Formats: sequence, C-alpha cells, structure tokens
Amino acid sequence: MNILRQAFVIARRDFISIVATPTFLLFLLAPLMMLGFAMVGGASAGQLVEAAGSQERIVAIVPQSERAAYAAVDARLRPISGGPAGPPQLILIPADADHRGALAAFRADADVLAILEGSAASPRILERKGEGFPGRYLASLAEAVAREGGSAASTQPVSRPAFETIAASGTGRAAQSGLGYAAVFAIFLLTLLLAGQTVGMLAEEKGNKVIEILAAAVPLESVYFGKLVGMLGVALLFVSFWGLLIGAGALVAINQLPQQAISALALEPAIGWPAFLGFGLVYFFMAFLLLGGVFLGVGALAGTVREIQMLSLPITFFQIGMFALSTAAANAPGTQVATIAQWLPWSSPFAMAALGATDASIWPHLFALGWQALWVGLTIWVGVRLFRAGVLRSGGSWWPWAKSAPPAAPDPVY
Amino acid sequence: MDQPVVLAEGLVKHFGAYRAVEGVSLSVAPGAVYGVLGPNGAGKTTTLRMLLGIIDPDLGSCRLLGSPRPRSVATRVGYLPEERGLYPGMTARESIAFMGALRGLPRPEGLVRADARLATLGLAHAAKQKVRRLSKGMSQMVQLVGALVHDPELIVLDEPFSGLDPVNQERLERMILAERDRGATIILSTHVMAHAQRLCDRVAIIAGGQRRFEGTVEDARAMLPLGVRYRPRESADAASLAALLPSDAQQRDGEWRFNLPDDGVEPLLAALVAGHHGVEGLSIERPGLHEAFVKIVGETHDERHAATMEQAA
Repeated sequence: MNILRQAFVIARRDFISIVATPTFLLFLLAPLMMLGFAMVGGASAGQLVEAAGSQERIVAIVPQSERAAYAAVDARLRPISGGPAGPPQLILIPADADHRGALAAFRADADVLAILEGSAASPRILERKGEGFPGRYLASLAEAVAREGGSAASTQPVSRPAFETIAASGTGRAAQSGLGYAAVFAIFLLTLLLAGQTVGMLAEEKGNKVIEILAAAVPLESVYFGKLVGMLGVALLFVSFWGLLIGAGALVAINQLPQQAISALALEPAIGWPAFLGFGLVYFFMAFLLLGGVFLGVGALAGTVREIQMLSLPITFFQIGMFALSTAAANAPGTQVATIAQWLPWSSPFAMAALGATDASIWPHLFALGWQALWVGLTIWVGVRLFRAGVLRSGGSWWPWAKSAPPAAPDPVY
Repeated sequence: MDQPVVLAEGLVKHFGAYRAVEGVSLSVAPGAVYGVLGPNGAGKTTTLRMLLGIIDPDLGSCRLLGSPRPRSVATRVGYLPEERGLYPGMTARESIAFMGALRGLPRPEGLVRADARLATLGLAHAAKQKVRRLSKGMSQMVQLVGALVHDPELIVLDEPFSGLDPVNQERLERMILAERDRGATIILSTHVMAHAQRLCDRVAIIAGGQRRFEGTVEDARAMLPLGVRYRPRESADAASLAALLPSDAQQRDGEWRFNLPDDGVEPLLAALVAGHHGVEGLSIERPGLHEAFVKIVGETHDERHAATMEQAA
C-alpha cells in the first residue's frame, strides 16, 4: 500500500471530522472577525498609493542642444507648478538615432503620463487620455525653452505644440506593485486563518490515544502529510466558498458600473490574470503546507492544550514576520529584500506571488514551486523525526545531544 | 520447520537513564498463542512497540513475518495497544473500517465486515452509534474488532482483558481462540495469569526489562514443586499438628498448604493418623502459572531490590 493511499485515509478522516461539525460554520464565517486586518491592510494600501504617485513620470525626448535648457527650466518651474505634489518626475532623453525604441517603451508604460518629442518650437506632445496637466506642463517647458532660445520680447507663444492622445492601455508599475501587495495580503490572511489550525491537530490523536494505532499502521510521514492535506482540503473549501461569494459580488458590481469606470479599474499583472491567479492559488497551497507543516510539527510536541495556546503567539509572530518581509518585497521589487523574501522558504510563496504582478517571466515561478515543494518535504521530515524523538521517544540518536538528556519517564507521554 | 513469525534478538531500549528493556529475545512460531507476561513496568509494552516498529530499539534486531523492517509488513499485522484509542466522533462501524483502511482494507469492505462482526458479538445495535456514546467495554470490543477486521496473520494484543467485564473477557478469549484456529499467530501481553494459562501455548516472562523465563505454560508450572493441601479434623490441635508438618506448611482457612516432601506424602499420612489428627481432606496439586509467575518475578524483584540497596549503601 503506497504512502499516498495511506495519507489519503488520514486526510479523508480529518477532512470529514472537521467539516461535519457546527464549529466549522463558525470557522467559515471567521473572516467577518478579520475586518480589523482588512483595515490594517487598507492603511498599508494607502502607503502604497503614495508610493505609486512617486513612480509617475513625464518624458521629454529633446535635441541634445536643448537638454540643459529643459533641465534648467524644469528646476525653475517645478516648485510653482501643479500644487503641493508638483509635476511628475521629468525624464530627459536625447533625440538620437535610437530614441524610437525608447519612445515605444514609454508609450507602453502606464506610469509615463506624457511624452514630448521634437524641437521646443514645434513639439509633439503625447498624453494619456484624461491626464491634462502633465501634457500642459511639458508644453510650458517647451515654451520657456523656446523663448530662451528666440526673441524674448514676443508676447505671442513661440512654441506651437501638437497634442496627441495615446491609449491608456497597460498597467503601471505602481499598480502592479499594488496587485502584488494584494496577493501577499490575501495569501497571508488565508494562511493566518487556516494554517494556524494545524498546530493542535496531533493533539487530538495524542489526547485520545489514537496516535499509537496510526503509528503502528502507517508511516508517520503519511500521518503528517495526511493531516496537512486534510486541512488543506478544508482550506480549499473555505477559499472556494468565499471566492464564489466575492466573485459573484464583483460580477454584480461590475454590471452596475459605467464602462469608463471599468476601464479605469482594469489592471493587468505582468504575467497576465490566468497565470497570476493560478500561481496565486498554488502559492497559497505552498504557504499553507510550509507554515502548516511547521505548526503541525511544533504543535505535535506540545503536551497540553495550554502549551498549544502558548505556542499560538510565537506562531502568529512568525507569520506576521513573513508577511512583513513579503510586503517589503512587494513594495520594492528587484531589491535585495525582495530576493531574500523570494528565497526564504516560509516567505517565498508570498513574495513570489507578488513577483508575478510585476515580472512577466514564468520560469522563476516554476523554480520557486520546486524549491518550496522541497522545503515542504523537508519540514515534514524534520517534524516526523522530532515527533519520534520527542513524543514516541524513538530514534533519539537523530540529535547528537539527546543521549545526555536527563532521565525520562518510562513510557512515552501522549 | 516453519520460520518464526517473530524473531527478536537482544532488544535493548533505554529512555534516558531508565533501562526499559535489557536484551530481550523472543521467537514466536506460526499459529501459536504466545504470552508476554510480566508485572507493571516490566517492559512488555516497550518490547511490543519495538517488535512492531513503532519505536526503534537502541540495540538488537527483530524480524516480523520474515521481514527485518516491521513497518513494511504492517498490513499483515493487527495491533490492539494497551492504551485504547478511538475517535469519539466516529461511529463504531466507521472506526472499524478506518482501522481496516489504515491496514489496506478497502473502506466499503471494512464497513461490511464491521457490521457482520459486530453482529456476531451481539453489538449490532452499537454499529451506528458514536464512540463517545459507547461504554468502555463496548469501545474496547470495537477497537478489538478494528484490530482484526483485515484478517491479519499476526495479532498483537497488549493487555486486551484490561477493563473488560467477565462476560466480555470470556467473549474475548473465544475470539482469540477463533483467530488461532483461523491460522493467525497471536502475541498476548498480560499480567493476569489465568488468561495466559488458558490461552497460551508458550510464554515469556519479562521482569525488570529482562526475559526471565521462556517456555510452555507447563514448563513454567514445573519450576515449582507439587503442592499439598491437607485439612485435619476440626478438633485437631494446631500446635502439635505444626510439629508434624514440613517447615514450609502454612495454615489458611482451616487448611494447611505445603510443598510435597521429597519422600512423598505416605510417611506424613502415617504420622498424622498415628497422632489422631485425622484427614478430612488431602490433595496433591500442580501449582498454577500464577504461582510460577510470582516466584519468577519475585526473585527478580528481590535481586533488583538488593542491587538498589547495594547501590544506596
């Protein structure tokens, strides 16, 4: 009988024993109590919006001879233009043989709100639909530069810009970071709610003495993995339930919104929605298995309910630590912090889900899933050995210092 | 000759400084009912756990059903642990099917067998009751059925009679004999000698973590001399009677008990008749497993006590 079938026997028992209880209903509705977390999330999202503003830019592709003049005029006009926030950051690009490629890239970047190209006297200004000020600011820069280069006494405008509107397609980097943050927050919320449940799972078997029957009949690895999979099934049911409710609510809301508002809300993660959602779900599974595996292993060593309750606090801190790291990674893609969060096994699922929002590559996700699966196996392996040494009091030689442990009670304690 | 179903050699298990098992060896033939006997804390359960691969021995080796890896033959083994355990939220039949499924029996087949076997035991009414609603004895019978539902080749029962009323004890004895008749090998751990004497073909007596005896029940009983029970006339004078009887004679309930003298009972009878003490009753009996157990374990206890005192001194 293979290990997976044995694991399935355990998983089936655990799944039914949890779902077929009134307590599960309370558990299912627990997100209502998590509104506090949502508010915390809202505050973080606000910070993210601020950060998003700072990523908006305007671009001027100008002759090399006018570049210094544009910089000087920008420095002079910026403090007195556009209210307290000021105009978006100006990027000056020399108009040379290669600037067509750069222009195409800037057109596709939703964070670039307006682009000026050509001479100061007759510039062409491309602006996003509905973004009037950035284009006007670029026009005023061109006017000032043209004036400095021509007859300063003229009362007529010396620069004659031609405005064009470019499609508002594509999602800006900032918005994608926001999506990444949302993915981190959603996965964290679900794992906080669900993976923590595994901490007391083996306590049931220890309490009612079933553990000896399980330990005699199937490998402990099957017991551990079965328990995780059983609880994952519960989590999946939970996610499906709320996913359907939220999805239905979103559909209703979208039908009520005008088309323009829907267009404005449209966001696209870098890897596309299907892959983003698919990977998000798989990363949730991985986060659940990784964190749940740790909690199951730690909880299995606890002897009493009180010990389990006491373990909950450090476990919550641990989860929040991983969340904080992953949030930092989502807000600063490509940084060292992000790399650490993507490699650290317990934050990797969160951080990689966020990466999907800002990076279109698929292969890092495949690699990360393999890496995380390896750690799931390792976590279960370590948990089983700790359980054998600590509870069954077998295989103590796994720890080199176990031989010098103080005299133990004659029988295993569970 | 058939290979032993269980062959354990020199099993050692220490829990920290506590020496639970010290070099126990066992060999159990196919189709036997084998008793592992010993007082509380003797190391019986630890030995059984090592045999089943639940815990690893510090030293020694073990072959179960021909395999050096006991876990690899777990589907052919049935186990009733000393500490009973069932999920309280499951029904009796679900519990039995669950235990069968753990040992490789398909769940639907497990449910069918559970119903049939509970009915055989007169527990059909309990089949669909939650375990938490069953009495302790009924729970225990459910767990026993669960341990046997997949028709294992080897059955290990750790203190199976503990907590059962006499009716259920009788029922359990019949179940054990039926399993033996089916061809299963049974290892039975107990400290109630009456069950072992009735059921076991061979026994190992473990005390202080060491095997003190291994053989048939008759071998164990033969370790003690035959006992004599003598009942004199009521009017007999106890003091003069004691002078005639062997020095180990002890009076209890108007009856004297002593080991059969080396020269037999005839010279003693002649002296009793001559002394006008009369003979209301006289019997010569082989001591039971209980007495043999007490002697073997008592010696172990004395040795350990002496060793402890020596260490303390």
